Amino acid sequence: MSRRDIIRLGAGGLGFGLFGGIGPVPPVLRQASRAAAAAQPGRILVVFEWFGGNDGLNTIVPYGDPMYYKHRPTIGIKEKDLLAIDAHVGWHKSMSGMKHLFDDGKVAIIQGVGYDRPSFSHFSSISFWHTAAPNSGNEYGWIGRTASAMDPAGARPNMIVNISDSQTLAVKAEKHVPLVFVDPTKFQRGVFAQEKAVLDMLSAPHAPVGDAHKYVLEVTRSAAQASEVVRAAWDGYKGKDNPDLRLLDLDKVAALIEADFPTTLYYVPLRNSLFDTHVNQAAPHDRQLQYCSDAIAGFFQEMKRIGRADDVVMYVHSEFGRRVPENTSLGTDHGTAQVNFVIGNAVKGGLYGKPPSLTNLVLGDNLENTTDFRQVYATLIQQWMGADAATVLGQNFTTMDMFRA
Amino acid sequence: MVARVGWSPGPAAWKDDLSALTAAEWSYDRAAHLLAHAGFGGTPAEIQKLADAGLERAVRSLVYYESIPNPAMQPFVESGLWDPTLNGFPESRPEATDRAEKSGTSMGVETKPSGNRPGQPISDRFFYWLRATMLETRRLGYWWANRMLQTTHPVEQKMALLWHGHFATHENKVRDYRKMMQQIDLFERGATGNLRDLTIQVAQNPAMLYFLDAQYNVKGAPNENFAREVMELFTMGVGNYSEQDVRECARAFTGWYFDNLAFKLDPDKHDAGEKTFLGRTGNFDGVDLLKIIFQQPVTAEYLAGKIYRFLVRDEVSAELRTKLGAVLRDHDYEVKPLLTVIFSSKDFYSQASYGGHIKGPVEHMVAMMKHLGVEAIPGVPDFNQSTISMGQHLLNPPSVAGWAGGKAWITPGLLIARGNVAREVLIPDVTGFKDWNFTAGTDDILGRRLRDGFDIGAATAVNDPSSMNEFDRVALERDERFNTRISGYVGWQQAARKLIPTPRQAAQFDLTQMVLESGAKTTAEAVDYLIWRTLRVPPAQAARVAFVAFLTKELGTDNIDRAKTYMEDALRMTVHLVMSTPEYQIV
Repeated sequence: MSRRDIIRLGAGGLGFGLFGGIGPVPPVLRQASRAAAAAQPGRILVVFEWFGGNDGLNTIVPYGDPMYYKHRPTIGIKEKDLLAIDAHVGWHKSMSGMKHLFDDGKVAIIQGVGYDRPSFSHFSSISFWHTAAPNSGNEYGWIGRTASAMDPAGARPNMIVNISDSQTLAVKAEKHVPLVFVDPTKFQRGVFAQEKAVLDMLSAPHAPVGDAHKYVLEVTRSAAQASEVVRAAWDGYKGKDNPDLRLLDLDKVAALIEADFPTTLYYVPLRNSLFDTHVNQAAPHDRQLQYCSDAIAGFFQEMKRIGRADDVVMYVHSEFGRRVPENTSLGTDHGTAQVNFVIGNAVKGGLYGKPPSLTNLVLGDNLENTTDFRQVYATLIQQWMGADAATVLGQNFTTMDMFRA
Repeated sequence: MVARVGWSPGPAAWKDDLSALTAAEWSYDRAAHLLAHAGFGGTPAEIQKLADAGLERAVRSLVYYESIPNPAMQPFVESGLWDPTLNGFPESRPEATDRAEKSGTSMGVETKPSGNRPGQPISDRFFYWLRATMLETRRLGYWWANRMLQTTHPVEQKMALLWHGHFATHENKVRDYRKMMQQIDLFERGATGNLRDLTIQVAQNPAMLYFLDAQYNVKGAPNENFAREVMELFTMGVGNYSEQDVRECARAFTGWYFDNLAFKLDPDKHDAGEKTFLGRTGNFDGVDLLKIIFQQPVTAEYLAGKIYRFLVRDEVSAELRTKLGAVLRDHDYEVKPLLTVIFSSKDFYSQASYGGHIKGPVEHMVAMMKHLGVEAIPGVPDFNQSTISMGQHLLNPPSVAGWAGGKAWITPGLLIARGNVAREVLIPDVTGFKDWNFTAGTDDILGRRLRDGFDIGAATAVNDPSSMNEFDRVALERDERFNTRISGYVGWQQAARKLIPTPRQAAQFDLTQMVLESGAKTTAEAVDYLIWRTLRVPPAQAARVAFVAFLTKELGTDNIDRAKTYMEDALRMTVHLVMSTPEYQIV
């Protein structure tokens, strides 16, 4: 079993003819020539979704604006606790990992990202972000539609990976079946030797009796193809043995990238709504930002080790920011515009977007959105993935000059 | 062998038609369809009983179940982990220890007057309850699953499960199994009663009050968490109210709180002023507000649609939703008349509803027992670990929105987990089983070091203290207020010491006897019988042929009589394969 075979297996090129269902797990041969990696994707986009409504004002803190401390007399972050960027804004103290990446010129900070007539509901707002259709909807997600734009025939298998308990709407695609899992070690059919020969038959051709059946049939096929290669990638991944490397779910992404998985689009929603900080927000928010920031820094260290740091861009967003004034429970309620991050060697680091005013608040104490989130999507789709953003998003959006030539 | 007629969906034209089936259109297969959707499926005997009763009596016995004796329902036996000093449990470990720093006491224990780690008892106490309520909640979930299996009122349990996911709270945040137990009781009692009453009771339920931050919602400083979710998720759905309505709604619920297991109202913290809500103005309180919400036609449609999607199929047309909403509203939000209409309707038995429902993991697990004729949920595999691996942790839904359900239940990873759980039930690894209630997980290493005589500094060191020299080891000990890593371990120990063990018996069933009693003479007939007993949607023909060939090969013959003395494990493997099919996931 050569590395090339494994790659082609990941690409769906070999089926079960070779293994007869589940065979011995092939080792992932790391040192083999990269030139052989016919299916290795060029550029990769990893979306890291900070679900829960991250408080952008306590993430990239506008400490230079006295209004900030007026609105947040108790939970406002003091200047001495910040990692300053310039005279106006600074990183939350827990975010030294991302600050180092920023100092190296690898982080674009986009302030004031949102959309008109914003929803204050977690679930509605995230569905607008997932479908790129604010106050409307779309059957498919923006990542799914990006896959369709890049590969209209749906011929590239495992193009989308979603590290999640259940499929995220953002990855729902017309022709591509996203590979969804959380724990690679459990992503394996437990079978006795005698049963192996019959396993192929679980995905035998069958006329679906309806929509639910059709869906389960498709997933059965996808599961059969994917589980073996995912486990092989995970077994071969070195990062998991380092206890200091806490990558949240980004370790699974790193493992697949290291194994030259053919995936172009990764979607990783943070599990548990730990950014939902209505009450006593300081301690949980500090902790959460630190975990996420350290994970991102660790992930890019891994990309460097693997030799793919130039090829990977990460995008971080939430479903909304939080209300500008603190509430009386030492927390913040659901708000509007938020801060986004685009990270990678290819990124021109710096501050993007117009910082929203803390004086002219809208919609009852909220930030005005100064950048439509679909402008960020368009920038990623068009400039990084090289697909036609207008096709994916249904209209033209002004993009930002965010990537190095 | 008796020829079995299966899979008889009504015509496609029945879709969205709420008129009742005629008596002539009733059959065993349709009774099986009814029980699979209204409850958790059934044994052939249970299905036959409904088939014999006729449609009207079958539906009536399922929906108006109160007079049917239900002898297996026994109260939950508590391990005795709680005591009154745990009332008002701190929200976080820092809150617990800060409280004690100020007053010298917290959660019924005092700090030490002198010596190192004076705050250790406080920290230990905090972790004790964290572990204790988590462990007891596992037992509670297992107890509830057995009710679902053993009840003679399957609709009651199925609907209670719906309301748990609808009015979702999780023990992870509530941190009190007693409040979760109180909620199960509420959802059972209100399972098929009046939805307005149920919603009012939920709004005054301690688990919900805590979960959505009611204690922080006070006059002059409203917290909108509950106000928003009650409209968005519990009653109307998003887009049917304004942001102004959310704010006014939060005011109406100010001053609502709980003490231990009782709802309380603090008049000083309640904003009794005038509110304008959904176009009405008055000095409303929370109950007034809920009544206004239930006057909105959209509320009936939203809730009827939710019930329908949970019981019947994922896809509901706007037309059908309107019709179902009208039924619910015409009966003043009484659930039983709506269920009667649904379960009797042509739509329910139409092609679109046959195989239109993806079973949720808990439902799947209970149904599996019915298919195997098992009378108690096994202890091996562990019930909670099994459903968690399939994507559902009872009493711990992922968020206030509950479980998404439908297609969200199935991903490649979760689908594989379903097959693996089936194997663990059919051919359990009894000797390799470890009871997760009696381990401290990664904290077990601390326990080993303490028992090996290391002090706290050495026991909590990153490196193995036994590989250090004495000088380095002693240097690890330090002065501190408390050590939370040790508390994490001590918490497990103290909780597990009191915890009532879960019986760890494998599922008891006998496929050999079942197949022999079916009259199957050949492996083909045996496979057909097992498929008929377990699947609602027929498998691919190629799969059926492969299962027959598998069983024949394993038995060394296609003659069941010849193989009857040794065929149990081969039959179990065959059922494992059948339960791993895409078809087994849907009803």
